Amino acid sequence: MAFDRRLLFSINWPLLGLTLVLFFCGVLNLYSASGFRLADGMSVAPFYQKQLIWGLMGMFGMLVIMLIDYRHLRTLAWPLFWFTCLTLVAVFVAGKTIYGAKRWLDLGFMNFQPSELAKICILIIGARILSKERERLNFTRLAYVVGIGLIPAGMVIRQPDLGSGLTILMILGGMILYHGMTGRVFKTLLISIPPLLPLSWFFLHDYQKQRILTFLDPTKDPLGAGYHIIQSEIAIGSGRFWGKGFLEGTQSQLRFLPEKHTDFAIAVFGEEWGFLGTLVLLGLFCVFLYQMVVIAREAKDLFGSYLAAGVFFYFFWQILINMGMVLGLMPVVGIPLPFISYGGSATLVNFCLVGLVLNVAMRKFLFKQ
Amino acid sequence: MLLQILILLLFCAFALRLWYLQIHRGEEYAAKARENQLRQEPIFAPRGLMRDRNGELLAVNEPAYALGLVREDCKDIEATLKQVSLWTDVPVEDLKAVYAKGRRRVKPFEPLILTPNLTFDQMAVIEANQLHWPGLEIRIRPRRQYQYGTLMAHLLGYVAEANESELEKDKELALGDEVGKQGLEYMLEKSLRGAKGLRQFEVDVSGRKLAQRVLKKPKAGQEVSLSIDLGLQKLVTDWLEGEAGAVVVMDADTGQLYALVSSPSFDSNAFSSGLSTEEWKALRDNPMHPLQNRAIQSVYPPGSVFKLAVGGAGLANDMVDLKETVFCSGSLKLGRHVFRCWRRGGHGKVNFERALVESCDVYFYKLGKKLGVDRMSEFAKACGYGVKTGIQLPHEKAGIIPSRQWKYRRFGERWQGGDDLNMSIGQGFTLVSPLQVARFVAAMINGGKLLKPQLLKDDKVVVLNKVPLNETQLGLIKQAMRTTVDGQRGTARRLRTKGVDVGGKTGTAQVVRLTDELKKLKDEDIPYKYRDHAWMCAYAQKDGRKFAIAALVEHGLHGGSGAGPVVKAIIEYLFNGKVMKRPSRKH
Repeated sequence: MAFDRRLLFSINWPLLGLTLVLFFCGVLNLYSASGFRLADGMSVAPFYQKQLIWGLMGMFGMLVIMLIDYRHLRTLAWPLFWFTCLTLVAVFVAGKTIYGAKRWLDLGFMNFQPSELAKICILIIGARILSKERERLNFTRLAYVVGIGLIPAGMVIRQPDLGSGLTILMILGGMILYHGMTGRVFKTLLISIPPLLPLSWFFLHDYQKQRILTFLDPTKDPLGAGYHIIQSEIAIGSGRFWGKGFLEGTQSQLRFLPEKHTDFAIAVFGEEWGFLGTLVLLGLFCVFLYQMVVIAREAKDLFGSYLAAGVFFYFFWQILINMGMVLGLMPVVGIPLPFISYGGSATLVNFCLVGLVLNVAMRKFLFKQ
Repeated sequence: MLLQILILLLFCAFALRLWYLQIHRGEEYAAKARENQLRQEPIFAPRGLMRDRNGELLAVNEPAYALGLVREDCKDIEATLKQVSLWTDVPVEDLKAVYAKGRRRVKPFEPLILTPNLTFDQMAVIEANQLHWPGLEIRIRPRRQYQYGTLMAHLLGYVAEANESELEKDKELALGDEVGKQGLEYMLEKSLRGAKGLRQFEVDVSGRKLAQRVLKKPKAGQEVSLSIDLGLQKLVTDWLEGEAGAVVVMDADTGQLYALVSSPSFDSNAFSSGLSTEEWKALRDNPMHPLQNRAIQSVYPPGSVFKLAVGGAGLANDMVDLKETVFCSGSLKLGRHVFRCWRRGGHGKVNFERALVESCDVYFYKLGKKLGVDRMSEFAKACGYGVKTGIQLPHEKAGIIPSRQWKYRRFGERWQGGDDLNMSIGQGFTLVSPLQVARFVAAMINGGKLLKPQLLKDDKVVVLNKVPLNETQLGLIKQAMRTTVDGQRGTARRLRTKGVDVGGKTGTAQVVRLTDELKKLKDEDIPYKYRDHAWMCAYAQKDGRKFAIAALVEHGLHGGSGAGPVVKAIIEYLFNGKVMKRPSRKH
């Protein structure tokens, strides 16, 4: 197979560049976030090194994915979907229980989390189904699409892993919005969903209710559940305009900030780089997302377009929920910030999904035959 | 379009929130972060040392172990207080009260002092268990220690934990701080205390202390040297042991006090290490009133000691003819009342000097009648009686010099002739403090200067007043005092000391008018509380060193025998460096 030079021309360089910039910002921030002060100097946990290694693996995975034409995924979509469902069933049968939740499959050499696979799978199957829908979705078609999504999502929620389950539904939901629905459907949903939301309260676990209550009033339990939010707001707020400087964040260095290298990593960034730095980072994320929108628009087939939109929502929801939580605008849920929070497999998946979008971008001219 | 709008919304919402947190409320959050990170604690300043005039240490500071509680680090206050109560034997209600009070004054991340004085054993037990009780912190702080707790108690006073109103008034005080409550500790509080320093350190989330920095160095309190001679103070205290009384020894030229003893005494140290309610009640309700400083806070009828002042008034008003004699038959009749001389048989013909030397009452009755209350009062006031001396100790009493108006105001009665007579021999309404007597005597030998009594070695001489007597007149009084000691019939003969010019005057102050039944009894058989107070005042001088001494022994019966021996011992100490032991007593 001869290499088509047009592939190289069409790579979305801004997206690739932004991904790398965000990743290295993340590693740099992680170096600070994994350090803490001692009486005689400072100690740094090796999280940033591990993140770097996972990142390199991710970049490799990204390259591999860019090379394989994304259109092959169309044919693979259904088999992949059923395979994912199979692994989810396997979790119920032979899953490993950690912290009271059955989420992992022990593969011998590593613990594998099928719900992660389900998130990727949903955007591929979503793209496949929605790209075939010629019209805007009416009630039947909507029910069909949502029904497909509910199969993996339901199983994930039963594990229980509400966060991942909702993420799956939200990715699919985003894609449905992108595709569009009939006016009637849209209006009906707009009217019926808000009154239904409070009902969901009765399906929540106690700890989940607690988190929502704490979010509404963190000062009620400042040393317990409210501690995360309070300390996170102090960390970010105390950064003020210019920030305290790299490695100078007292909230993080003295370990007042919890989960500072994972879910609350952006708070470390906010404390040390201030309003200016954080605003720039937020801007980078927005341009990163915007590039995906551009790719989705310019893709030469609907499958590619929906694929890019799916990846867009995959990142969009995570950024929204994580930053919303750290900034005290949402309840605490364990969702990391892409490229900034520490997490090996998440980093790997993030790079691979960026690779997928780049893949779509590269092949935007290939169909002019 | 939809996706672009979503991105725009995301950016705007978070940018706004960042602006709100970091710019709008940034200052506030920065302060909270500093509160998290930085803790401050005081560096205690040592209280100023106190020495006697020879440099002997009287008050020092020793380390004490205080138990503090950092609220923010404590998981369960209730349980912790209970445990502390078990360790320290302090009732848990008391600890809760301290905690409740402290909550308002102490920041949550600063230690609230639960109890300022742990014993070493308690400290060791708590230290060993500290890990299980987060928030508890042992602090070492200086505590006042008096080397001679009972000897100097009335002079130095004591320090004790500052109470609510003191904390309210003085913002520099913190809960658990010691503050002067009595004596010089109270009067010199400002200079003795010094100023606390401030140390700041960084803590991590588990309260571990990291870097630290001294923000303000502590300023030690000023050292103070007293005018008191510790050896003399001790000698006098020993002589007064078992008695209630007071002795003042004053340098007649400077007003500096070499000894100021009030007996019985108490231990200052009991207060600085925390006094229990029972101990406090025992001290307060003790019938001998050990807390009372009798030298300045108790006033007594001066008895014959007052004759020196009445004689002076006679001289000053030119109403004494030195050549003139008065016949003492043993009594004087005024109206229907008979006023007796202490010598039943009478003194016969008595002139001014002999009247003082032998303390003839009849001579002074007549002189008093001639002078009248107005002249006697005016002169006594000029001699410092009836007014505070201004000594640097709290709660001094002025005593009473009566006047016509005073009596009318007090009793609603007119001044009578008999009152003049009673006043002339130091009985009746007149009340004086031992310190006033010593100061008066000093004025008799220093040229009439009425001095402010000084307690500190570096105090400047302060002349408050001039006694209205000229050199000759002063000489007459001095000569009479001298003869009281030297003369054949003087009442203060026991003060004679070879090579030292000594003069004295005895006094016996009636506590109650004895009934005829009691009069028949021997002295030793009269109930203690009815016995007369014994006075002795004296001057002693040699080679330019002049001292005035006043001694009062409550219920000591006769001036010469009751209060004389201690004065003699003082003179021996001052001029011959001799420490006379008090003979063991019979009763």
